[in-house]
Amino acid sequence: MFKKFDEKDNVSSVLQLKSSVQKAIRVKLLESYPHLENFIDVVLPKKDSLRIIKCHDHIEIIVNSNGELLFFRQRDSQWMPTLKLFHKYPFFLPMHQVDKGAIRFVLSGANVMCPGLTSPGAKMTDVPTDTVVAIMAEGKEHALAIGKTALSSDDIAKVNKGIGIENCHYLNDGLWQMKPVK
Amino acid sequence: MSVEDKLKQGPRDGISYPMQVVYCGNCSMPIEYCEYYPEYEKCKQWLEVNLPSEFEKVKIGDDNPVEEEKKRQKRGGKGMIKTKKKEDGPKQVYVSRAPRGKKKSVTVVTGLNSFDIDLKVAAKFFGTKFACGSSVTGDDEIVIQGDVKDDLFDVIPEKWPEIDEDLIEYLGDQKR
Repeated sequence: MFKKFDEKDNVSSVLQLKSSVQKAIRVKLLESYPHLENFIDVVLPKKDSLRIIKCHDHIEIIVNSNGELLFFRQRDSQWMPTLKLFHKYPFFLPMHQVDKGAIRFVLSGANVMCPGLTSPGAKMTDVPTDTVVAIMAEGKEHALAIGKTALSSDDIAKVNKGIGIENCHYLNDGLWQMKPVK
Repeated sequence: MSVEDKLKQGPRDGISYPMQVVYCGNCSMPIEYCEYYPEYEKCKQWLEVNLPSEFEKVKIGDDNPVEEEKKRQKRGGKGMIKTKKKEDGPKQVYVSRAPRGKKKSVTVVTGLNSFDIDLKVAAKFFGTKFACGSSVTGDDEIVIQGDVKDDLFDVIPEKWPEIDEDLIEYLGDQKR
């Protein structure tokens, strides 16, 4: 999604959000990430005025008043956290761990293939399809990508072929490189 | 921490959030991923200078990485991460004067971008400093209303210490 993303070319406008919309987003986030409940006031303080960055390809990014990028989504999909945010609160997404061999492919933006999730170095949590997951790596502590499952965990183990997780946001992609927006 | 625990959701006891993650200054990723960056050597240099303790850990981790890499033939394409090319052009700020009407002139400053300076902020700063209009007019161009070139040579190095006075060049009068 952000492979060829560039701050200069792809951002079309920055908007201040209405407080009612802000509340709606909070509720939605809590709905999709119940583990965030105790921390939502730190991540999205009630008094903070959020902004939204609209980009090409129907991508929207939530930004807090300091300009930090928090969540993004494409069209009307679920909000996904940016890696910078997830590194700070690395618990509110289900996690899939890929084996060592897959790391460099994921870091260049490839989708995660099933064999990379079923080999001995890999681990999965049990989730259905279309779930936002954090992609961790064998022997590493931090997440290296955020993705959306294309198959449920059971199917991944059964089929063991093709795309398992769609890579949405990874280290060093356009969104990661983006500087805080003023 | 066992592997099962690692993938567990929910905040863990004994850790205060937000967590602080150390990022590499060269490749901007968490340090543990530096080894997958094409310019790993540069990352190592950065680590050595900025975080010597982490550098020691990395050193112990790989004992004979150089030989291993030479054996394998490397071609681009297969899982190679491309480095974002940083433009390392000549870092220089150009100042010039352009006429505005018969007896007034404006000062054009270009090249601030190469120092990673936010042009909008810079324009605002010039405006307040010289009490005049100042605006970002192009990709890397600030126009300050009025002839302030003499002051600029003092003001720019003062505000941004990384710009030395010798790096500012005066191009003379230019047509608009």
